[in-house]
Amino acid sequence: MRELVTMWRDTRMIMLVAVVAAVYVALLIPFAGFVIIPGITAVRPGNVIPVIFGLMFGPAAAWGSAIGNLINDIFAGQFGPGSAFGFVGNFFFGLIGYKLWGNLGPLSSNVEPDFRERPVRQFVEFVLIAVAASAVCAAIIAWGLELLGLFPFSVLGTIIFLNNTIAALILGPPLLYLTYPRIKSMGLLYPDLLHADDLPEAGATRAQTAAVGLLLVAIAWLAVGIAISLGLQDVPFAADQAETFGEGGATLQIALGAIAFLIVLGLTAISGERLSKLLG
Amino acid sequence: MSASPSLYVDRETFLHRLNARSKLALITGVFVAAYVFGDPRWVFVPLAATFLALVAVGGWPNFKRLSFIVVALFLIGFAVWPAFTHGGGAPLLETPLGTLTEREVLFALGRSERIAAFIVGGLLFVTTTSNEEIVAGMRSLGLPYAFCFAVGTALRLFPTFLGSANTVRQAQAARGHEPGGRNPVTLLRSYIPLMIPVFMTAIRNVQTQAMALEARGFDTRGERSFYNKQPFTAADWATAGFGIALAVGAIALRLQGYGTV
Repeated sequence: MRELVTMWRDTRMIMLVAVVAAVYVALLIPFAGFVIIPGITAVRPGNVIPVIFGLMFGPAAAWGSAIGNLINDIFAGQFGPGSAFGFVGNFFFGLIGYKLWGNLGPLSSNVEPDFRERPVRQFVEFVLIAVAASAVCAAIIAWGLELLGLFPFSVLGTIIFLNNTIAALILGPPLLYLTYPRIKSMGLLYPDLLHADDLPEAGATRAQTAAVGLLLVAIAWLAVGIAISLGLQDVPFAADQAETFGEGGATLQIALGAIAFLIVLGLTAISGERLSKLLG
Repeated sequence: MSASPSLYVDRETFLHRLNARSKLALITGVFVAAYVFGDPRWVFVPLAATFLALVAVGGWPNFKRLSFIVVALFLIGFAVWPAFTHGGGAPLLETPLGTLTEREVLFALGRSERIAAFIVGGLLFVTTTSNEEIVAGMRSLGLPYAFCFAVGTALRLFPTFLGSANTVRQAQAARGHEPGGRNPVTLLRSYIPLMIPVFMTAIRNVQTQAMALEARGFDTRGERSFYNKQPFTAADWATAGFGIALAVGAIALRLQGYGTV
């Protein structure tokens, strides 16, 4: 987790943050993609940026995605208290990729994310990462907006998760195939830019445990959150939505979110990265 | 380069002249007032006040431009919330699917007004605060310089990339490529030839821009100065105080039991 702070010492990483943020906004605004609910949500091609840039630029992509989403809120006229949760959600959307790639044990392809070697195994690993990153982003934003009493968790959680996952799964592999080798040859991958002692130091077992934990917690948080929000009968946590935390969201939903977020933070703190070792 | 899609309206009004920090304090007070109350009559007060202020500072074109989003979010909230709260009061509508009670309608209306108040409040802030003022305000709030620099650079670069994206789209259209298709997968895949040139043009510049910065002695750890430094005047103190009083007053009223459904 230290690299999230120390990367701010490197000029190229700072420029990458700015460029990732600017590209993210530039692709979110003009390419509206497939509209689901007019004015509310669309499957946007730009949603692939945090996942693929996260794999290549690591911490710079996490900060860049968060800043890009904030700028998008400002220019789309949606700047408000919810923007804070959008910032954090998109930060994790960009963060999960480089924390998980290569650290998912038998589910990992153990090669660079360029879709040239072992493409099927790379695709499986990419699917898991896209799902985990989309789920944690959706859960954080949906939890935040439920806390603010703007929309129920199940409404936004489902929409954001599907938007992010569909764009990442369809566009991610071909974009990585086409851009990864070029960016690698430019020397702009995060292991090339960060000092060796700035990269997270985590043993293989700890890195794997943290990565698998992040994957499971992200999916579980979103699934249980939606179940609570819908008040599903067979879910043991099913809550009466009238039990509200002040005038915000349901108390149980807020409590679950707070615990899940702390677990995600804890797992992120102990997690490692693998790309630097795969590059040799 | 394309024109910036900024929502900032360059006017000489009281709100425009305020420091970004005092505007943030004021808008936070409005957000708190819209948040703590559930009764639509109470939430209407901050909503109406921000809307009137927005019109007064010349933000009506911005509101018109985004009215579709505000209306859509308002209606979605109003349609969704009755399903997520318990009923109460007189039944207003009985259907085979269920009964819509007075409490459910008031609850949903309050939530939708809260969404609208947040959007209009945010719009008021960005209408009266330029990009440079936002970045300088972030710095004066104590955020690290490197972070503020990245935000400022992204704000400056993004209209350029937006212009590139549109140029690439036109160039590809001239070659016969138009993104489209009824199937969402086909539609999304049709964007790949547009995205690659935008990515690569943007990323190719990182090395040269970083070198240019370092050649000029760029150092994120040193103390920085700003050319356009905004003073924090008496009007700013009064506005910030009003924002805090608004937030405290709203919370106090809510704790006394006012403004609930």
